[in-house]
Amino acid sequence: MLLEARDLSATRTTESGTHVVLDGVDLGVEAGTLTDVVGPSGSGKTTLLLALARLLPGATGVLELDGVAAERIPPQRWRRDVALLPQVPALVPGSVGDNLLLPWRLRVRSHETPPSAEVLARALADVGLADVGLERDPSRLSVGQIARVALLRVLLTRPRVLLADEPDAALDDVSAAQVTRMTEAFVAEGGAVVRVRHLRLDERADRRFRLEGGKLSEVADA
Amino acid sequence: MPSTAASGVVAIGWLQLAFASGFIVVSGAVSLALGLGVTRDLWVASLRTYAQLLALGFVLRWVFRNDTPLVVLAILVVMLVAATSIILRRSPDAPAGLFGSTLLAMALTGVTITFAVTGLVVGVQPWWHAQYVIPIGGMVIGNSMSGIALALERVFADLDARHAEVLSLAALGATPWEAARPSVRTALRAGMIPGINTLAAVGIVFIPGMMAGQILAGTDPLVAAPYQIVVMLMVATADILGSVAAVLLSYPRRFSAEGVYLERGRR
Repeated sequence: MLLEARDLSATRTTESGTHVVLDGVDLGVEAGTLTDVVGPSGSGKTTLLLALARLLPGATGVLELDGVAAERIPPQRWRRDVALLPQVPALVPGSVGDNLLLPWRLRVRSHETPPSAEVLARALADVGLADVGLERDPSRLSVGQIARVALLRVLLTRPRVLLADEPDAALDDVSAAQVTRMTEAFVAEGGAVVRVRHLRLDERADRRFRLEGGKLSEVADA
Repeated sequence: MPSTAASGVVAIGWLQLAFASGFIVVSGAVSLALGLGVTRDLWVASLRTYAQLLALGFVLRWVFRNDTPLVVLAILVVMLVAATSIILRRSPDAPAGLFGSTLLAMALTGVTITFAVTGLVVGVQPWWHAQYVIPIGGMVIGNSMSGIALALERVFADLDARHAEVLSLAALGATPWEAARPSVRTALRAGMIPGINTLAAVGIVFIPGMMAGQILAGTDPLVAAPYQIVVMLMVATADILGSVAAVLLSYPRRFSAEGVYLERGRR
């Protein structure tokens, strides 16, 4: 098993008290698979991805990557391999090129060679952003373009697992289809994807789960 | 009539103080007439000015007559603790438990720079002479307090404003420092700019208090000016180094042990 979560639990404290968001969730993810998790708003889908990325303070349970316990892997290295694409991805000030190269400016990848400008330009073109170019100011991008640049930024780092939080929500049809193609191409190359969505099950997913009341249950048929 | 003290300074009596208070009464009346809602605050603040500065006069007179290192140190500690409390009150977004690190930042820079001025630049003998250490320490600590408060307030406000970017960076494997660096830079610039502006404007836009006081006391302006230059440079240094130390010591408290930014609702 590439990524495994056992007995994952988390609570959320609000003015009305403490609520269980994840209640003993078990999830195993193999390389080269697409796992969809659906559930209504507020069911804990984002919380699940944050916990899998080790970005959720207070979460409990067991996390393993390639059978190695999370405690034995520094959090920054874990997130290099288990990359989260947040529901509202943020691009930093600068240019599109700066954003695509941002991961290599971090200490966790300081020993890796960043992709060349040619590689970046080709990658942009592959996801339908040839007209955007590397010099474009990110503040001048549309929502759909931001989503694709943010996804491309993650995929260029070649993580082993991509945790995608509603990656095609609020996107136009063209951008949504492009994001889906990018995700499927990543899976075809051996990557694993855990994708959460509002209420739309995708028959192309290898495994489908429903998250409700903090419990994760597998759905047999879409 | 004002009397002239032995030092040549024109001493202000109670009658003159009362006359000066008339101006603040006029200001209060204007504020009341315009319904600005600050009249009470103005009275209270004015009364506090009376009480605090007269009390300071009595305390300093006593301190100068009982000039020992322990007394001087105790006064500096009181100043540092009060400044730290004020800084943290001005930073409502700051996480709890910052008193120790902020006090440390203030103490390291404030005390070091105060004694650098009195001991190395002015060459006071003995090095703890209260008449020099306390006024200069007060200026250094008091002025750097504003810059540190501004920097601390700004770093946590900016981190909150950038929370989506901070999450995206952490998700890419950024350390807390890498994720917080833009906010730290913004906060330190905010903390430093007022001090830099003051350095640029001094002597043209305003005559600083210490130099004005020395001139009023009969000191040659060319003797007062170098004192003021030293103090201005040291205050700016304390402001900058104090802000850097306070921000660098405090921003990690907004991150969990695993380097996760603690958003509102998760603190």
